[in-house]
Amino acid sequence: MKNIQIILNSILSKDIFEYVLVDKSLKIVETSQGLDKYLDRVPKRDDDLLKFCPELFGVEKEINKIFSNKSMLYVLESVHKKEYYVNLSVEHYDENMVLILLHNITDTTLSQQKLLQYSNESILLNNTLQKILDSQNAILFVTHNNEISYTNDQFMKYFSVKKMMDLKRKNLKIYTYLDETLENYDALFERVNSKEEYITIEKDTFILKATWIESTHKLFTLTKVTRLSDDMLKDSLTGVYKKTYFDKRIQKIIRHQEDAIVVVIDLDDFKAVNDTYGHQAGDDVLREFTALIQENIRSDDVLARWGGEEFLLLLQHTSVENALKKVEAMRKLIAEHTFSHIGRLTASFGLASKEKNDDMHTLLQRADKALYEAKKSGKNCIKFKKV
Amino acid sequence: MIRKKILLLGDFSVGKTSLVKRYVDGTFDDKYLTTIGVKISKKLLTLKGVEYELLIWDIEGSTPSKKISLGYYKGASGAIFVADVTRKETIEGIEAHKEVFLSENPDAKFVIAYNKSDKLSEILKEQMELTENSFLTSAKNDENVEALFIKLMENMLS
Repeated sequence: MKNIQIILNSILSKDIFEYVLVDKSLKIVETSQGLDKYLDRVPKRDDDLLKFCPELFGVEKEINKIFSNKSMLYVLESVHKKEYYVNLSVEHYDENMVLILLHNITDTTLSQQKLLQYSNESILLNNTLQKILDSQNAILFVTHNNEISYTNDQFMKYFSVKKMMDLKRKNLKIYTYLDETLENYDALFERVNSKEEYITIEKDTFILKATWIESTHKLFTLTKVTRLSDDMLKDSLTGVYKKTYFDKRIQKIIRHQEDAIVVVIDLDDFKAVNDTYGHQAGDDVLREFTALIQENIRSDDVLARWGGEEFLLLLQHTSVENALKKVEAMRKLIAEHTFSHIGRLTASFGLASKEKNDDMHTLLQRADKALYEAKKSGKNCIKFKKV
Repeated sequence: MIRKKILLLGDFSVGKTSLVKRYVDGTFDDKYLTTIGVKISKKLLTLKGVEYELLIWDIEGSTPSKKISLGYYKGASGAIFVADVTRKETIEGIEAHKEVFLSENPDAKFVIAYNKSDKLSEILKEQMELTENSFLTSAKNDENVEALFIKLMENMLS
């Protein structure tokens, strides 16, 4: 009785509920007047309930139990019927009939749908942005208290981690790859902000950039350059480094206040080789000459071609005295070597040691002046130029 | 006439409603409108001389924060699990949908729709590993939609 009262009140007042009474064979006994708005046609007495409420197909057993059990209830929420949404409930009426209530929830459901639509679209947008982020270079976000708060897929793949937790467990500190003296990401940011640095991680080289994201996060971007660098940085004729790479190494040495010795090497009278034996023979001599030097320097020494028959050698972690001995051995080796096509050839050497106030220009200029003096002194010799 | 209840299950925005619209009405609309709750569509079909009324339950897609009401699963004979072939997470999500559905309906049959195949290149389509119960579908281009429903029906009747 209580339900009927609710239904009647609602039907009369707000048009919220409609009802259907059905018998044990699920044939319609009676319906409320407004039921037709949910259906294509008005049901009549003895019509099959499932024709009008296909939502109840498959739960006939549950409905049958309701005839004999007053406390049982079957509810189906948010069913779309024509342009309406209803909650459908089946409950005990008497031992021969069950009452099916259709509760009109269209207004609230449409509001919920708007919210759900907004939420789902946001998730889709977020997923798309995530895919864009993952397709970019390796990136990491660091909070103001030096915690890594986000890394993208590229970053995780490179460092072979699957989750942020793994990253923390690994205690990965990118800044130590650039400079072991750096203490945290703040220090790295100070160093890299508004410029870029080359950073070597294992066998790969990256360009590292940093920028603020709002005032809370710092963004670091790592762009891998290793695969291209070997071809791009080496001289195609001789296979030694190009001057651009040599310059970068010198700049890094100057920035880090490291010691270094620069040697400018020039083959004596090379023009005569080209003129006499041809340019092909000249090229062969250059290749033979650089191979000879490469065999007699350490793996961390850098040999680069400055242009023509002039070369640069960068020596680190050595004294001027030892460098002079090494270069003298080199000079002797070249002078005593028999080059194919041409036989004997000599070279002149100019040395300069990096001083405190040197920049790249002054250092190279001094080494070049030393070479000039060596040439002036009769070639096939070494000169060292002090500040 | 024999009635059969089937469900379309999958994550949100994978194209469940579009598949139903294409199969039942033969139409397609590119605009995304989230389904809320459930909408039941009917389709009459005859298989081996027997008439069937297919009750197709297009159910609101699950989201990370909202799971599907189990009340919808009762009495279903089959299900189509739908994934958006361009969203890896929706393909991975199929297993979870399958697990819940089969725990409620252990004897029910199912097929899988890798939907939105119109967004894939021919090379990527060829690389998809399909079984006899999984289809690359496109509600937009009407690709394999009918075959999907028919295969499910055949499975349910076997």
